[in-house]
Amino acid sequence: MRRLPVYFLLDTSGSMYGEPIQALNNALSGMVNTLRLDPHALDSVWLSIITFDREVKEVTPLTELVTFQLPEITCPQSGPTHTGKCLEFLYEKVNQDVRKGSQEQKGDWRPLLFIFTDGKPSDLKLYHEMIPKVKQLNFATIVGCAAGKSADNALLKELTDTVVHLDTADSATLKQFFKWVSDTIEQGNKSMGTSEVIVLPPPPQELNLVI
Amino acid sequence: MNIKTVSSAIYSGKSYQYVDNGAPLQGGMKDVYFSPDRSYVVAFYRSEQDLNAKERLRKIVTDYYNSFFNREGGAYYKDLYCWPTDMIEEGKKVGLIVPCYNENFFFKKGYAANDFILGKEKEGKWFAAPKFRNKAFSLRLDENELGNWLSYFQICVNIARGVKRLHAAGLAHSDLSYKNVLIDPISRSAAIIDIDGLVVPGLFPPEVIGTPDFIAPEVLATRHLDKSDPGRKLPNRLTDLHALAVMIYMYLLHRHPLKGGKVHDLDTEKDDLLSMGEKALFIEHPEDVSNRPQLDHVHPNDLPWADVNKLPLAVTGPYLKELFYKAFVTGLHQPAERPPADMWEQALLKTTDLMQPCANPACEQKWYVFDNTNSPKCPFCGTPHRGTLPVLDLYYEFKPTVWRPENHRLMVYNNQYLFQWHANRNVVRNERTSEEQKIPVGYFVFHQQQWVLVNQRLTSLKDLTEDKEIPIGGMVALTDGKKLLLSREEGGRVVIVTLANK
Repeated sequence: MRRLPVYFLLDTSGSMYGEPIQALNNALSGMVNTLRLDPHALDSVWLSIITFDREVKEVTPLTELVTFQLPEITCPQSGPTHTGKCLEFLYEKVNQDVRKGSQEQKGDWRPLLFIFTDGKPSDLKLYHEMIPKVKQLNFATIVGCAAGKSADNALLKELTDTVVHLDTADSATLKQFFKWVSDTIEQGNKSMGTSEVIVLPPPPQELNLVI
Repeated sequence: MNIKTVSSAIYSGKSYQYVDNGAPLQGGMKDVYFSPDRSYVVAFYRSEQDLNAKERLRKIVTDYYNSFFNREGGAYYKDLYCWPTDMIEEGKKVGLIVPCYNENFFFKKGYAANDFILGKEKEGKWFAAPKFRNKAFSLRLDENELGNWLSYFQICVNIARGVKRLHAAGLAHSDLSYKNVLIDPISRSAAIIDIDGLVVPGLFPPEVIGTPDFIAPEVLATRHLDKSDPGRKLPNRLTDLHALAVMIYMYLLHRHPLKGGKVHDLDTEKDDLLSMGEKALFIEHPEDVSNRPQLDHVHPNDLPWADVNKLPLAVTGPYLKELFYKAFVTGLHQPAERPPADMWEQALLKTTDLMQPCANPACEQKWYVFDNTNSPKCPFCGTPHRGTLPVLDLYYEFKPTVWRPENHRLMVYNNQYLFQWHANRNVVRNERTSEEQKIPVGYFVFHQQQWVLVNQRLTSLKDLTEDKEIPIGGMVALTDGKKLLLSREEGGRVVIVTLANK
C-alpha cells in the first residue's frame, strides 16, 4: 500500500495572533473535511502538521486521513519565526516517516509539502542551510504560501518555484487557498492529458501565483 | 444567485442558463456549472479548443447523438450514457450541455456514521475500494448503499453493454474510470459519463491517455514518446477493453489486478510506471507468482479482498476466470487478445445463472457462485449450502439426435425463475431482450421434500426420462440424471439434472 504523505508547516509566530490564526484553523478544518469527501484521498493521504514560532512543534505526526484529528492551533502573542529550525525538524521527520522503496516493499508516493508563513525567517542562516537539504527530500510538490504584507515571497522562492501570495490572511482568502491545496492533493486521480502537462491545478483567481 | 445565459453553437436561437457561483466543480479538463433547475450542466473547457476538437464535439452532440438515441432501442442507452446534447461557444470558450444524472447516482445516505457525502455523486471508487465496505473503517459506506454481490454483476453487465455499443459504432471512450462511470448498487445500474473524449479512429485523436488505475500498459509504456511517434500508443478500442476488464475485476473483487507486491524500481514513480505499464503483471498470474499482494504490507482495512488466497478470482466462476486470464495474462501486453465487451456481457450473465443465495442472513455478499464441488459453501462467510442443490446443464441440438453441451449451466434455488433464453438458444439475453421475453416461463421450488420445476409458459416441455409431456400449470420433479426437453421449437434446449450436495 502506497501512502501519499502530506506535510503542512504552519507559521504560528506572534504576528499570526488573533484573527489570522482563527482563520487558519477554520481553513484547515475545511480542507480536512473536503478531503474526507474524496474516496481517493481516503485511500492514500496521510497528513502531518508542524508549527513553528520560537518553538517547532509536531502538532500531528503523520496520520492517516480517516483518523486524523485536527487540534486547535494556537500561537504566542509575540516572538520570532524559526522557519529554518522547522525545516531542520521536517528533514528529520520525512527521513523517518516516508517509506522508501526496497526490494521487498513498495515505497510511499513522493510527499507533498505546504509551507504557510506571514513573515520571514528569523533564523536566516539555518534557513539557507536547510534549503538544499529539503530539496534533496524529493518532494513531488512544494508550495510556499506567503500571507499578508510582511510575508517575504523572495525567501520562499529560494525553496520552491511555486509561491502563492495572499494579500490578507482572512477567512475567505484562506479558505479558497486551502480549497486549492486539497485540489492539488487530489490531483493524481484525474484524467491525464496526452501531452505532458502541469501538475498543479489552476489556482483560485484571487490569489497571486508567483512562479 | 448569478445566472448567466449562453447560446448554442449549433442550433441558432437556442440558449441555456447556468448558475455561476464562482466555484464550479472541476474535472480534469472542464469547469462545470449547474442549470438553475439542475436538469443539466454547462461544462466549459478550461483550455481553448481547436477546430478539430470543436468538430469532434459537434459530431458527438449531433450525428452520434442521433445514431445512438433516435433509433430503435435508443431508450435503453439513454439511461446508460450521460450524453452531451448541445455545444455552446462564448467568446473563446467552448462548452457542452450535458443532462444531469439520474437521482439514483447520488448518495441517499453515504457514510454509515454521518451525512458528509449525502447527495454526492456515486463515483465508482467508493464501491471498488475495499475499505469503504470494511466494518473497521470509520468512514465506511452505509450498508444500504452497498448492495450485494449480485448487484455488481448486473452493474458490470450494464457497463459492458455501454462499451459494446460504443465500439459497435466504431468509437472508443478512451477514458473509462471511476469518475467517468457512475454506478448504483441499489438500482443495479451504471451511467457512462464524460462522453466528450470519444475517439474515432483516424478521425479524432484522443486528448487524454486515461485515468490512473485504468490506463492500458502499452499506453503507459510509450507515454514518453512524442504523439507523432509511430511507436506511441494512444487510447483506442483495445485500451477501453483493458479499462473495462480492470473495472469488472475491481467491482467483483475490490482489488486492482496489477497492484501487487513486486518491486520493479526503488523509485516510487518509476516503479509505478513500470508495474502499470511495461512490466505489468497480473497479481493472480497462474504461473508467475512474483506479483502476489504481500499481506504484511497491505492495509488491514483492505482485507479480506486483498488476500488472493482467501478470495481468488475463481470465486467469480469459470466463465469470468477464463476472461480474466485472457485480459490480464494473454491480453495484458497483447491488446488484440483482450476479450471484447460482448464476451464480458455474456460471461457475466451466464455467471449469474451459477449463483446461489447464501443461507447465512448475515452474509455481507448474500450471493455466491457455485464452486462446482459436491459440498458447496459460500466463499465469503464460509456457510455451507443446506440441502440438495440441483444443477441443470444446458444442451443444444448439434444435428438431429445429437445433443451437445453448451458450457452453460443453471443452478436452482427456491423461487428461481426459468426464462426463454434458457429454454431456447436462439433467444439471446441482451439489451434488446423484449419485455415479453423477460417474463419467466417457469420457476423452481422445493416442494414436499423434492425440487420441482413448475411450467408457466413452456408449450412443449417434456420429461424425456419418464417420456411424459408437462403441460402449462403442471410440474416435474428434478431428480438426479433426469433429462428434460424445454422446447421443441428450433433452438430448443435439453437440460440434464445433477443433484449436488446429496
